[in-house]
Parts: sequence; structure tokens; C-alpha cells
Amino acid sequence: MAENQTNDGTVAMTSWQLNGQEVENPTGMTIMEAAKEHGIEIPCFCYHPGLSIAGNCRICMVESNRSRKPVISCSEKIADGLEIETESELAVSSRNSVMEFQLINHPLDCPVCDKAGECTLQDHSYEHGPDRSRFVEDKNIRHTKELGPNISIWGNRCIVCTRCIRFCDEISGTSELCIVERGDRSVVDVFPEIPIDNQLAGNTVDICPVGALISHDFKYEARVWNMDRKDSVCGGCSRGCNVEVETLDGFVKRLMPRENLEVNDWWMCDEGRYGWRHLYADDRLSQATRDGTALADDSATAALEQLLSESGPVAFLIDPFLTCEEMHLVQGLAASRPGSSVGGWLPEDGIAANFPSGFKISAAKYPNRAGAEHIFGDQVFGNDATELQKALVSSDFNTVVAFCGGHLSSGPGESWAKALSSTPTSIIFSVKSGPWLEGASLVLPATAPIEKDGTWINEDGRLQRTRSCWNPGTEPFSVELVRLQTLQNALGIRGRSLSAAGIFRELAANNDSFAGHNHSDLGSPGLLLSERPAGIAMDGGSE
Amino acid sequence: MTFRKILTQHIAEDDCHTLSFYQRNGGYSQAQKSLKEDQPDDLIELVKAANLRGRGGAGFPTGVKWSFVPKSSDKPKYLVVNADESEPGTFKDRVIMEKNPHLLLEGILICCKAVNIQTAYIYIRGEFVFATQRLQQAIDEAYEAGILGNDCLGSGLSIDVTVHRGAGAYICGEETGMLTSLEGDRGQPKLKPPFPAIEGVFGCPTVVNNVETLANLPYILEIGAEAYCAIGPEKSPGPKLFCVSGHVENPGTFELPMGIPLRKLIDEHAGGVWKGRKLKAVIPGGSSAHVLTADECDVAMDIESLTAAGTMLGSAGIIVMDDSTCMVDALVNLMRFYHHESCGQCTPCREGTGWLEKIVHRIAHGDGRMEDLDLVLDVCDRMVGKTICALADAAAFPAQSFVTKFQDDFVAAIQNGGSPAWKKRHPSAVGGTASHG
Repeated sequence: MAENQTNDGTVAMTSWQLNGQEVENPTGMTIMEAAKEHGIEIPCFCYHPGLSIAGNCRICMVESNRSRKPVISCSEKIADGLEIETESELAVSSRNSVMEFQLINHPLDCPVCDKAGECTLQDHSYEHGPDRSRFVEDKNIRHTKELGPNISIWGNRCIVCTRCIRFCDEISGTSELCIVERGDRSVVDVFPEIPIDNQLAGNTVDICPVGALISHDFKYEARVWNMDRKDSVCGGCSRGCNVEVETLDGFVKRLMPRENLEVNDWWMCDEGRYGWRHLYADDRLSQATRDGTALADDSATAALEQLLSESGPVAFLIDPFLTCEEMHLVQGLAASRPGSSVGGWLPEDGIAANFPSGFKISAAKYPNRAGAEHIFGDQVFGNDATELQKALVSSDFNTVVAFCGGHLSSGPGESWAKALSSTPTSIIFSVKSGPWLEGASLVLPATAPIEKDGTWINEDGRLQRTRSCWNPGTEPFSVELVRLQTLQNALGIRGRSLSAAGIFRELAANNDSFAGHNHSDLGSPGLLLSERPAGIAMDGGSE
Repeated sequence: MTFRKILTQHIAEDDCHTLSFYQRNGGYSQAQKSLKEDQPDDLIELVKAANLRGRGGAGFPTGVKWSFVPKSSDKPKYLVVNADESEPGTFKDRVIMEKNPHLLLEGILICCKAVNIQTAYIYIRGEFVFATQRLQQAIDEAYEAGILGNDCLGSGLSIDVTVHRGAGAYICGEETGMLTSLEGDRGQPKLKPPFPAIEGVFGCPTVVNNVETLANLPYILEIGAEAYCAIGPEKSPGPKLFCVSGHVENPGTFELPMGIPLRKLIDEHAGGVWKGRKLKAVIPGGSSAHVLTADECDVAMDIESLTAAGTMLGSAGIIVMDDSTCMVDALVNLMRFYHHESCGQCTPCREGTGWLEKIVHRIAHGDGRMEDLDLVLDVCDRMVGKTICALADAAAFPAQSFVTKFQDDFVAAIQNGGSPAWKKRHPSAVGGTASHG
């Protein structure tokens, strides 16, 4: 039973005073949490909602009627009759003192620091810090060194808040980091010969309130205020961690986790975080080709229209990277061509991981198997796929449209490649080049997961909205959502093109699983669909 | 009643540290009786009534501390003896452990009986190699004689004592820093609450007592609370070890009743200020206490009197400074210590101790500015009461009191291009060497 649950199930409340106002909050809250509910943001460095309380930075000190000394609001709990002042002389001077202390040995290297612009120390300094320094001594020098393959410490900037250390102790459970030395020589380090190289290590850089931990991947890559940010979902596995994709001039520079307590808390794994590099790998496709010859984007759409308008029944091979909206468009095409058939391929399973904090990495390295099963039925990767492959190999279909997405996946395997090349007319949407494109009639560049706009359903059945990293109109080629609608328009099965949200409304009107929902009610935690279609076995399916 | 030494009575004897000597002189008789006959609650009440105040520095009533430990807990309870004596100017626990270790063990037995404890750790300062050896010898003897281990002294109780050596960090003498270190972690104080009595070492209820505190217990049992309270002042009674160091003819550890006048202690027991010089200053309670000027030294050495005088009894480490002392150099020395020993956990202490040392060092080395004196005091204000443990306060108190009470020394160092000692070593220096130019 939670601390604030009473016997009858209601939440017990505590009355206390905040800056002279009588207020109430659920019992057991800390002053910092409770004050936030009343719109008072108490500054912090070492506090992080996902980590244990260290109480070492002292910036959150406030005045209490229960203590001679100022108390730290991250650790001190509210109590009946407690009177807290956040703006009294003692509170303000305590806060300002901590700011001055934090800054005396901190280098003024914001102009070259990657954290600048999103630095807690900068923000608090602006609000609570002195406008000049009384410190005329030499600043302390601490080490700058690599801690692991992806992370370095710039010791001079470290404010010893121990967030990164607590992360490795409590969240990843790997405990690579420690403080070495003492007093103002204290600095984060690794133990000899044991680099920080765990699957969640990148999060330590995110939660560093200053620029002490630096990601090699992002070092000197961009000023954070110049980047565009999109609330997206990682397509690296079926967990669907909520992420922020940050781009500079249309190029992805960094992925950061976005808080979702239902899915990924505040974290993401390094595989997802650093996977964006594959977007720009040499084997990435950005150009359409017809029988091996390059095509302009418009001509590619025209070629697609031509091939499909001449075709009879079509075989559709989908992948679990497509959004629900893209799948809905595929379903519309299949329905318009009597005798058509839909099956799906699944990338090989990777390795799952469970962490002490409850954070999970799924073995299913794709984002939307559940969505496909809601839309095409629970056998789309099972029997339907097996039948489809057989039919293709025996050339039962004249035309196949295949989706080969996933910039991190190895693509459809040999048997699917054989099936595709056995079909006279093969139209393949592909993120990258690979053996499955052998002999393709028309190859169309496809979007990788973080370039897609739409929804996915994760392995828990949670429907989540993901947004494309591209700004509308800046896509380097027609994305599937547009291309498939243009095709539907040309084939006369659609009157006008819609946004992803519009397509979702159509889907919700036609599919009971999605009935009553729309993009705008998904909210930030997403939405748990009541249940999966009956009979889904998450571990089955064809390759 | 004439005062009888009970902690250091026999320390001049060659074999004073042995079990046979201790038992010949009545040792373990109180524990033997107590372990068999006394009720834990009665022992706690007795110690409360005797008003035994902790001898580690904070002076918290020992019986009250024991009573905070939950009576019914499904976790084991521990006693951790704080033998990490590292407050500059303090060397009293060392005497007990080197010369009278069985007295400590007897005190441990009594405490374990009172609080229902089966396991005691003695966390001893790493540098105390000889004391560790003596203590271990005594423990080995006690195990062999059936005093420790299973069925202690035939009482049916089982009590184990383990010596754990620290690695030489001042912060590990702080109650919770010591517990963290004992658990095998980096020695850093913990947030309170929870207090050790509820959740101490290994997450279990823990009594933390100083060596000298425990060494008082057999005597309290022997003479009773009333007689014990009659020694020294009512509010902080008992025999007390005073460590006198610095510019005196006869430095050492002196066992005297609590409340002895400071002047008498220095002049009669420690042989007075050396070389016929005059007294300049006294730190009365370990280096963390506010310094007293010669004029302020007419004070009784007990907790209340020293608190009233704006300083503290602390660990009763009395550092005497004669009139040849440059207070700037003395403060540099202290600030270097606190800067070196700050664990670095809390911002005000981590940064403040280093800043203070740099400023005072700069003044001593001829680059001081008049505004530095206000700066020192302001930095101190910004440290006091704003950290997890009291190390920041301990660093700020001497800085505050040196600068305010001996301002002339600091002004002279600023105006004359450094402290006298610095100038003597660097006769040709013009200005100083500090960086700000």
C-alpha cells in the first residue's frame, strides 16, 4: 500500500504552508514535488525523479519552521503544520551561496561546451547566480579522459552531483562509475581497466546537469539551440521508447529519451540512441530505380501508378516497421485488387535485456508487429506469410509490392529474396540496398522508423504517436504515406490525400481495435489498446 | 570527595594493558554482574540518570541515544565504537586503547547488554597501528578467557567484537561517514533521517558511541548515578580526558573532573606556557572549536560553560598558542587540513574549504587584500549549517574566530606583504606569489 493510501482507498492529504499560503498535497511527498504542484519550481542539480536522493548539491535549500538551518527540499517531506519559505532571506541566500560555490571552480567555457543551452548550471546561474565572481584564485584542474567507447569526462566541469553514478548503480545495475579523490578534487571516473560500456550508458550524458559527461557522438556536432526537435518513438525494438529526435538542417544529430513512465521512464538504450548513424550509411537508398536505371521522384510515382494500374491481383509483403497508417493504405490497395494477398516478414530476433530498474530492451527489433496484427489479422506474419511465400515462389502472382524497412534490421532473408525475384513485376520499397532488390522492377526509397509520421503499437499493446524527423516539405523523397495515397488517388480509390492523422481517422472508422481514437487523444504516454486480437502469439511468425 | 582517576589510573604500569592486570584491579566485575543480573531498561535508565554525555564531541546524552534504538526489531542491532580519533589536537581515545583496552571492552559489554546487541565493531583510525595491536591483543585475551564470544562471562549472552581499521580519512570519524566506510563504501556522511539508531550500519539499528564514553560505563555501574553526577558540573558530569598540546611545558593527556578551569589545566597540569612566554590563544575543543583569546581563557572546561563562551568542549583537544604565534600561519595550517579532508559531497563544503584555504594562504604569502577579511567571513557564513554533516561548520568556525579575534595579525600580514614567517623565509620578496597579480 502506498504511503498515502488510507484504508478506504482514498489518498491521505497533508496540509502545510508554502510561502504563507495554506496548501494541501498527498502525504509522503517531498517539499520539492509538492511545491511544483503549486507552480513553484525549486532549483536542483543532484535530484532526478528517476534516481535515489543524494542531497548533496544543496541548491534546493528552503527555510523551514521546523529547523534552525535551511532544509533540502528534495529529501524533506511535507508534514502537517510545516511552514516553508522558498523566497525568504535565508532561502534566497542559501541558494545564491550554492550557486556561487558551484561556479568558483567551474570553467567559463560555455562557448565551447556541448551542454550550453541545455545546461542546468547555466540556467540556475542566470536565475540565482552572482553576476560577477569574487574568486580571484586559480581554478582547480581535474582530469579529462575517455570513460568508455562513447563517453568522456570533462572533469573541470563536473559538479559532483553523482547522478551518473547513481544511474549506473540503480538503473543499469552496472556500477562502472565512481568518484575519485576528495573535496574539490572530486571527479567522476571509472575503475581501472573497466570502461563504462553498458547498454544504457548514454543516459548518463543526458542526466549530467552540466557538460562534464560528453557523448563522443555529439561532441562539437551542433549548438543545441539551433536544432529542431521532434517527439518521436524509437523503432529499434518493440518497447517503443519515447525519444526526441534532434536535427540540424534536416540531418539527425542526436536522439534523446523522452519521459514516459508507462514505457521507458526517462531512459533509452544505446542501440536505439546511436542507431541513427545507419540513416546515413553508404547502403541507404534515396533514389528510385526502374530496372536498374535511376528515376526522378515524380517519374517513380508515375511508374508505380502505371505498374499497379496494369496489374491483376497483387501480393503485398509488409514489414513490422510500417506505421498503422501506412498499413491502412496498403490494406486499401489490397482490397481494391480482388484476389490480392497480404503477408509480412519479420527481422530476426535480437537479444532482450532486463535491468534492475525495470527498464527493458525487447528481442523483437521492430516497432509495430502488434499494429500489423490488428490490421491484417493475427496470421499476417504466420500462416498468411507462409502461404504468400509459397504462392510467390510458384509465380502465382504477377505483381508484388514489398516493404523492406528498418535501417537497423538485416532486411528480409534469402527465402523472401527468392520469392520476390520469382515474381515478374516486383515493386520494392526499401530503406537500404540488399540482396532482396535483385531483379526488382521498381525500387522506391523508403523511410526509416524515425522518418515516419504515424502510430505504432508496442509489445504491451500501447498505441504511440511518432513524428517524422523531417519538417514537412523537406523530405528527400516522397514518403510512403504520400506515395501510397497518390497511388490510391490515381487508381481512383481515394479522392484526396490526408495527413497521418486523417488516415488514422479512416483506420479508426474501419477497424474496431482503433475505434473511437484519434491522434490528438493519444497524449504523451500513448494509449493502451484494450487488448490484442485473439490468438496472437508474440513468439511465432515466419522470418 | 577527592577525584579518582578511573580511565588512566594505572597507565604508568608496564602491564596495564593486559587482562591479568585489569582483572587484578577489579576489571570486568561490573560487566560480569551486569550481564547476569541487570535488565537492559534499568541500565539505560542508570546511564540516563548519570547524565553521561558523549565524549566524541557533540555531547549527546548516551542513555537517551540508546533509548532511540527500537526494542523490537527483526533486524540485528549493532554497536559501532567510534575510535577514529582524528580531530586535530585530540589524543585521548588512543591512550585508553593503548593503555587500558579492557576498560573499553568492558564498556562495550555493558552497552551491548543495555541495548541487546550481539555484534560490536570498533572502527579505529588507520594511523593508530600500535593502538590497533593493543586492542586486538586485548580482544584475543578476552575471547580466550570467555569474556567475549559465546556465553560472555558465563552470562549466556553472545557478544562479538571486531576491530575495523579506517584508511586515514577525517570524515570517517563523522558518525554516518564512519558507517558508510564500515559498509565498504566511500566514506561519506549520509542524509539524516534515518538516524543510525533506526537505520545505521548495514541498514540496521546501530548505537554509535565514542571510546571514552564507553570507558565510563563500568565506573557508573560501580558508584551509581548519584555519585557519578557529583563529579564535576551537574549537566555534564564525570571524569574527562583533556588533551593539551602546543606551547606548554608539559603537554599530554590529563584525566580531571569535567569543569576544571582552563587556566588551571594549562598552568598547573600542563606546566604553563612554555619558555616563559605569554598566552596568546587557546583552541579548547579540537581544531573545529572557536578559538579563545588569552582574555577569554577564564572558563570552566565543561560543555555548558564553553558553549556559553561561544565555543565548545568538542573532543577536549586543547591547543595552546603562545605570543610568538602568527595566527595567519596557524589558520593556513587548519584550512589546509579541512580542505584536504572535506569529502566533497556537499557543494558549500567542497568548494568553500578550498576557497578559504586559498584566500588565507594568499594573505600569509603576501598577496592579501583588505577585502579578503570580509570575504573569509562571508564564505564562512555561506558554509555554516548548509551541509549534510558538520565538516563545513568545523572548517568555518576556526576561520571565523581567527579572523575576528586576531584581526590585527591578518591586517599586518596584508599590509606587510605576508606573515612574519613567510617574510623571514622570503626576505627579498616584494608582494607575493599568488596568482591574481
